[in-house]
Amino acid sequence: MKKKVLAALLATSMVAASLVGCGNSGNEAGGASSADNSTAADTTTDNTAAADNTAADNSAATDTAAADTSADNSAASSDDPVANLIAATTDTVKLTVWASEEDQALTTQLLEDFKAAYPDVTFDITLGSESESTAKDTILADVEAAADVFSFADDQINELVQAGALQPVAATYTLDVANENVAGSVEAATVNGTLYAYPMTADNGYFMFYDASVFSDEDVKSLDKMVEVAEAAGKKIAMDVSNGWYIYAFFQGAGYELTMNEDGSNNCTWNAAGATDVAQAIMDLYGTNVLVDMSDEEMATAIAEGTIAAAVNGTWRAETASDAWGENYSATKLPTFNVAGKDCQMSSYSGYKLVGVNPYSANIGWSMLLAEFLTGETAQTARFEARGLGPSNVAAASSDAVQADPAIAALAAQAAYATPQRVGGNFWAPAETLGQILADGSAGSDLQSVLDTAVEGIMAPIE
Amino acid sequence: MKNKKIFSGNYFKEFGTAVAKGDIWVKLSMLIMGAGYIARKQIINGLIMIALEAVFIITYVFYAAPNLAKFGTLGTVQFEQVFDPLTLTSKVNDYDNSFLILLNSIIALFIIVSFIFVYIGNIKAVYRLQKQKEAGKHINSFREDIKALFNEKFHITLLTLPALGIILMNIIPILVLIAIAFTNYDQQHMPPSALFTWVGWKNFKQLFTNSTTLTFGYSFGKILIWTLEWAVLSTLTTFIGGILMAQFINSKKTKLPKLWRTLFMVAIAVPQFVTLLLVRNFFADSGIVNTICSNIGLTDFLKSVGLVNANLTYIPFLTNPTWAKVMIVLINIWVGVPYQMLIATGVLMNIPVDQLESARIDGANSFQIFWKITMPYVLFITGPSLITDFVRNINNFNVIYLLTQDVYVTSDQLLANSNAKEVDLLVTWLFRLTNEYYNYKIASVIGIIVFIICAGFTLITFTQTIKGSREEDFR
Repeated sequence: MKKKVLAALLATSMVAASLVGCGNSGNEAGGASSADNSTAADTTTDNTAAADNTAADNSAATDTAAADTSADNSAASSDDPVANLIAATTDTVKLTVWASEEDQALTTQLLEDFKAAYPDVTFDITLGSESESTAKDTILADVEAAADVFSFADDQINELVQAGALQPVAATYTLDVANENVAGSVEAATVNGTLYAYPMTADNGYFMFYDASVFSDEDVKSLDKMVEVAEAAGKKIAMDVSNGWYIYAFFQGAGYELTMNEDGSNNCTWNAAGATDVAQAIMDLYGTNVLVDMSDEEMATAIAEGTIAAAVNGTWRAETASDAWGENYSATKLPTFNVAGKDCQMSSYSGYKLVGVNPYSANIGWSMLLAEFLTGETAQTARFEARGLGPSNVAAASSDAVQADPAIAALAAQAAYATPQRVGGNFWAPAETLGQILADGSAGSDLQSVLDTAVEGIMAPIE
Repeated sequence: MKNKKIFSGNYFKEFGTAVAKGDIWVKLSMLIMGAGYIARKQIINGLIMIALEAVFIITYVFYAAPNLAKFGTLGTVQFEQVFDPLTLTSKVNDYDNSFLILLNSIIALFIIVSFIFVYIGNIKAVYRLQKQKEAGKHINSFREDIKALFNEKFHITLLTLPALGIILMNIIPILVLIAIAFTNYDQQHMPPSALFTWVGWKNFKQLFTNSTTLTFGYSFGKILIWTLEWAVLSTLTTFIGGILMAQFINSKKTKLPKLWRTLFMVAIAVPQFVTLLLVRNFFADSGIVNTICSNIGLTDFLKSVGLVNANLTYIPFLTNPTWAKVMIVLINIWVGVPYQMLIATGVLMNIPVDQLESARIDGANSFQIFWKITMPYVLFITGPSLITDFVRNINNFNVIYLLTQDVYVTSDQLLANSNAKEVDLLVTWLFRLTNEYYNYKIASVIGIIVFIICAGFTLITFTQTIKGSREEDFR
């Protein structure tokens, strides 16, 4: 008996994970919306036209919608979709929203504002805490049980779209998503030509911050020069190269490509002719032991301790750095690095935080309106003021306060060399190991075969 | 017991006899299950049976049949939705969810199989009633039947709940797990948005073969070897450590034994994951231990001896494969010894004092007593728990995962290509495959293999160690 139970437990533990996938049946979501939607077939043909229309009378929609409803509750044939939606909504609208732990207070306030904007509708909105960087893992565990509206980092968009966890932004109502946000953020929210999410912040990429008492403006233009200066000053420079996200900066900067195919597999030329020079350059840089491979947490400690005078990282470490370096805290675009005698500008992944709507939501319409509200100019300005997160909204980003922030200015300068993250899941593990063995020097002398093996893993086919 | 009956053929023979020799009521029971009882005045039994049959037919028609019909393909209708921008609503088609079809089909199969057993049992029971009637024996009333469940058939009453629990919580999940190993359930085929389907033995082939791009075979071999090494090492070290520690604390020369015992118990009182995460930070590349080591010159010494790569400025406690494996075993000793000590203390306190005394009178020294009397006794008592420990260590997720997650980056490119690390056990690999890469199909195959290894090992060792009554031999 005992062994049976024991053996059974082993397997159960595994299945438990997969069983989570059988929560509520998605039919209720479908049933509710399909009931009052018999005319869907003929109206969907002109999605784009609808989007254009509504974009034109954006302000009208918000201002009049709330006022009009009491007058024509019954007239569902109105041209204004938001008014239609308000008229069609009789029950309490239940929504779940996920925002990051740090964003809770701000989001609570924004949700109250959202409720106030639609006084005729009763909302029951639950706010949950879910970090943007791990949202994908929680959502994909059970899409049907995930929040109606959630925020996530744009690197997860491919997998979320693949799993059908994002409602396409087929039309907009109170916010012209495509034109009010910076082009890069819209591109990051678009997969295969379809817009899937609402850009929320434009500050999730990486750049270089440094201690101006160690490096001059001239020094930070070249990584090789920085290494020299740092060595003389007895300081170190940190960059987490054993991480696919960062090692991309070197290879992309030197002109080697990494793209994603439609099926989620990758195309990668990191083993093409001449790529060994890039690998050699990384090995040489890290071989000095001045440029060091450190994870994000280790970097935070090291910056605070003062062993590091410059780091490649993102806005989330800006506070640590400015606390440690005080007035000398500066930020700039990534430097160039030397590949076989030629200076190459390091590239980077541009990073954005996006808000997505769950296609299995029972209240798709309200979820979309809420997502628009949470990413509008007002909300983005409030987010910058409360938490210093760089807005993706053009108008919010042009304010003086935003322009004066060194980290956000550095990101803007890096933007010219940054690309949105379009990469399939098979990239990460091989790239991580590639960075690791180049940084610790265990790659050996046959760099071509090292790169070949890495590229084989990165380009592994997907069935 | 029950199995024996079924496979001996008697089970079906009795059923055949009942069908052939039964009277009209027995034959009618084949159609309406309660008929035989009602004919023998067991009205309530009869009604229960009829109700059961009705419930089964309803379940079959509305639940089992629709799911089983799709079991062959695991669904064909993909999720589709059309969004209407004018009403802000979306229309969703009546899509299939492969996972729910799989799960429901397995539950349905279970219901059908159990119903068949109930059905056969019912006919036989009714035939038994007929014979009792013919022989003029007393036929139980419903009240007497219930009473019997609390007296001579009490074991049935007691076992029903645990049996149900095991079926629901263990057997059905295991069957689902096994079934998934034969499908292509992975990130590209995740319900509800996508369908998955049967692929036969393909996943098993993938796990045991190696190609240039798919290195699962290579990784599996490496990880299996390390898993077994780890299980042996961790079991032996904590076991021996625990016994020695208990022996030292129990020794008459030790002062303040209670204080020492309590101190080691504190290690258990702190939740393991807290300890492990802290330890992970201590031993990080830029952690406190490394700072101390480099300050006292240990780092440079190890470099000069060649134990640490000359390029490094730190000791790669948890980032180099060999260092990490050694560290994991050492840290596990520290975390695991108190548990073993607790068990060993209990055992040591129960060693027959007469044996120890007679040994001492015969002139045996402490070491001899420990080796010839204490150890065999402890081994005999804790043998079975040693085996379960070994199996538990094969699946010791906590120590390995918490110490290496986010810290350890593999430097073996072939392992990286199948998302494995040198320090992974089969379970941690399985966990990361499901949790980070959604590769449920390969994870299920690994799950089955872990199951086979553990079950096989447990079966063999249990039958070997608990053969006959060894206690007599020992005395």
